[in-house]
Amino acid sequence: MRTSLILILLAPALVLLTSRVHAQEKRKVTFTGLGRSVFYGDDLRQDTPVPDTVTARKLHSGHVLVDVGVQIRPNANTEVLGMVRVRNDYGGFWGSGVTFDVRQLYVKGVIGNIIRYQLGDINYRMTRYTLWNPDQEVVSSMPLLFAQQADLLNYDHFYNFDQAWRQQGASAEFGLVFSKWIDELQVHAMTSRIAPADFVTTHDRLFSGLSISLIQSKYLRAGLNYANLYDVAGTSRNPVSFHNPVLTGTLHGEVPLKTVRLSIDAESGRSRTYYREDPQAPEITGQFTEASLTAVHEKTGIRITALAKMIDAQFRSPGAQTKRIRYDAAPIAYSRITNDQVLRPLNMVDLMRESTLCMMQLSPSLMQFAPRYDNITPYGDATPNRQGTVITLAYEKKDSPVRLEASRSDLQEMRGEGTLRARTFTRTDIRSELLVHALFADWKKHITLSGSMRSDQTNRPEEGRVQGVDLRTQLYSAGLEAEIFTHLDLLVGFQQITYQGTEFTAMRDAYSQIFNFSEYEVDGTETLTGAGIRYRFSDSAFVSTQWNSFRNNDQLAAVSPYTMNQLVWVFQMKF
Amino acid sequence: MGISNEVLTMIIRSIISVLLVITALSGCRVDEEFDGPSLNDLYGDFAVISPLQISNDPVDFSTGETTAFTAEFTKNISWTLRITGLETGAIKEISDFSNTLDASNATWNGTTTLLPMFRPELCAVELTFDNEPDTLRDTVLVTGVTNHPGLLLSDFESGTNPGWVTFSQSGANMSFTIDDEGASAQGTHYFDIGGTVNWDWLIALIHMPAVAYGGTTFNLSENPAEVFFNSMLFKPSDLNNGIMLFQFREDDNGDGAYSNNEDMYSYEIAMAENGWNQYSIRYADIPTLINGQPAAALGNGIHEPHKLMQVSALFLANPNSGYANAYLDYLLFTEGSPLIP
Repeated sequence: MRTSLILILLAPALVLLTSRVHAQEKRKVTFTGLGRSVFYGDDLRQDTPVPDTVTARKLHSGHVLVDVGVQIRPNANTEVLGMVRVRNDYGGFWGSGVTFDVRQLYVKGVIGNIIRYQLGDINYRMTRYTLWNPDQEVVSSMPLLFAQQADLLNYDHFYNFDQAWRQQGASAEFGLVFSKWIDELQVHAMTSRIAPADFVTTHDRLFSGLSISLIQSKYLRAGLNYANLYDVAGTSRNPVSFHNPVLTGTLHGEVPLKTVRLSIDAESGRSRTYYREDPQAPEITGQFTEASLTAVHEKTGIRITALAKMIDAQFRSPGAQTKRIRYDAAPIAYSRITNDQVLRPLNMVDLMRESTLCMMQLSPSLMQFAPRYDNITPYGDATPNRQGTVITLAYEKKDSPVRLEASRSDLQEMRGEGTLRARTFTRTDIRSELLVHALFADWKKHITLSGSMRSDQTNRPEEGRVQGVDLRTQLYSAGLEAEIFTHLDLLVGFQQITYQGTEFTAMRDAYSQIFNFSEYEVDGTETLTGAGIRYRFSDSAFVSTQWNSFRNNDQLAAVSPYTMNQLVWVFQMKF
Repeated sequence: MGISNEVLTMIIRSIISVLLVITALSGCRVDEEFDGPSLNDLYGDFAVISPLQISNDPVDFSTGETTAFTAEFTKNISWTLRITGLETGAIKEISDFSNTLDASNATWNGTTTLLPMFRPELCAVELTFDNEPDTLRDTVLVTGVTNHPGLLLSDFESGTNPGWVTFSQSGANMSFTIDDEGASAQGTHYFDIGGTVNWDWLIALIHMPAVAYGGTTFNLSENPAEVFFNSMLFKPSDLNNGIMLFQFREDDNGDGAYSNNEDMYSYEIAMAENGWNQYSIRYADIPTLINGQPAAALGNGIHEPHKLMQVSALFLANPNSGYANAYLDYLLFTEGSPLIP
């Protein structure tokens, strides 16, 4: 924190000092950032038997913000970035509603041409079982029209496409090159501070990671990964400290054949979760193994992957199992509705745009999830208590107008919950994209059609007098992006999720151990339909207006079916 | 454009091989234990599979017999087995969370949960369940009660010991006698002490010297941590002023008499709970009290139960508090543990 403060204070001075140099040596100082203006106009209509006279039907909100970053390179081996965010909510004036935040701050460079380091804000990821930021449910399949809103959320919370977690700490890496037998040995290490101590009950909580990759050749690579979320004992008066180390090994091999490229990927490891000085806390250990074989036929663009996995019920990896969405949080828009002002259950529009739901730090325990949206991989690929296979068939070729990916997952629990019988999970996931303009040689403007379908099913037979589990989720989405005039696009989107059935959701204690079950029954449909236009000033700037209609029709929810119409205006420019 | 048969075959073979290897390694095994509480216990319907049965009826606890209760249900459930003496009102409760009653969790050895203690009598048995209306009932006949090992000072069943020294004030409404009206804690008789004494705290006392039991000191272990003094006292629900004070005089110097420079430990019981209650204390934990306050030892300060030469029971009450009353029963020294009635 002190380093950050010093850098904030020094940033203007550094800019001034380097401005003279700037004229002589290009790119010593670079400005980077983003400007954005967003406006939401919401209109809620409820199908209540008695009109809701308490909730305001229309909600307007929006803001203008600018992220201004100064990238300074005082020498060839050092780079400093400081980025501030100035935001003004619509309706704020003369300072009211204006916020001023430091959005990013880091120093990075190379020491002695050997060790690369970064201090401050770092985006870091390791493997899918050690440190990985899995996509939020439902949102990742949205067509471009709706993805515009989700992208705003992802940008604001540093949910990057590379699944990295934004951390504050330090990282370093170096490599050793060998002349014989082994091409290279890479070492990556990082430590970040997840939570500060309050000196009384909460310790400083850190996350540390170490990856060692041994690259034998371009055909064979092996790695060792260690990730640990832990409390630093002694930083508060609390004698109890949490520790969750995860150790994994990875292997990647490639077999180039005449027409087919075969590759094998595997990762296996174990976790240990324990508390020091807490006699009530259990010590749990879990293991996992995942292996896949991928065959790519370059000529046809066909890729087939067969994956098998086995993850213990007790495998815990906070770096990989933390969810982006906090299902125990409430949305800001229409958080309470009806005359009784009951809490409105989250819907897929909330997942798309509600900032209050976003998780910014690693969670030491398994977070709540919504089985209706994803009951199979609620904690991403590292979801504990899963075993089975995933087969993926994909088609993607450079000059082809069609992209297609279909996968089938057949999984089951490794340990029953509340019964010896294991749940079985099946998922069929199909995603496709058609570049219509590529079908016609003379068509200059682009037209893209996209569509996806996901069908999930969870089953467990009834046992004695206990009802079985039968939960089904279907997710359909379709999108159109058509350039009707130069740089002016018509966007159309549709997404529908249907869920129906019964489940038992586990209630977990502070140690993530199941202490009870809650009956869970859903029967609903959420449909989001919309259209809009977008004008692209350049590849990095656009303005768009869209109108969406969201319909929630959950027969068993605490609130009556409702429709939420939404007018959204977005201007965004990156520089 | 198409894939040759050879390539396709190879891809499929490779994938099948990998899947087979992985599947064989993992075996899609499912653990033989499950996480969390049993769903059947939480959500399953409750029903009795096997009715309540009693393994040993009638039962004679005086010969070391026990009796076990058996039953079986469709799910684990919190149950309570309540045995009530139809003459004494004595109650024994056994509770557990399980789907069966058997010798491991539902065996009765004649002990009591709520005083009084059982006598030879017919007992009602009730088995009830949390959140379920069902009640299973039966009876069991007790033909003999448990013999509790230890040094019995008195159970008042056959009068007072002629070697005792007793004293009672000449107050109003004085009672200082063995009685058998109402329920006693053990057997049929108890000692009733009561009266109004508005000039002194002492209402009455009983000195129980060791000579009354055939020796100069009581026949107790030398280890004060092993010796427990047990008594059963009854407090009427409408009186809150009675105090029972037990004094334990030791013959530190072995001269056969007690003098003021020898240890006297005191166990003061301000009876707070209504009805019959058991009070037990480890001999090593009995303090020296002067006027009810902890004080320095009068003698060598060593708890020596084998040198105990007299036990006194003093019934006290604030002289301004009016009528006081208490019943006294089953004064017993045990070794190893407090009395389990």
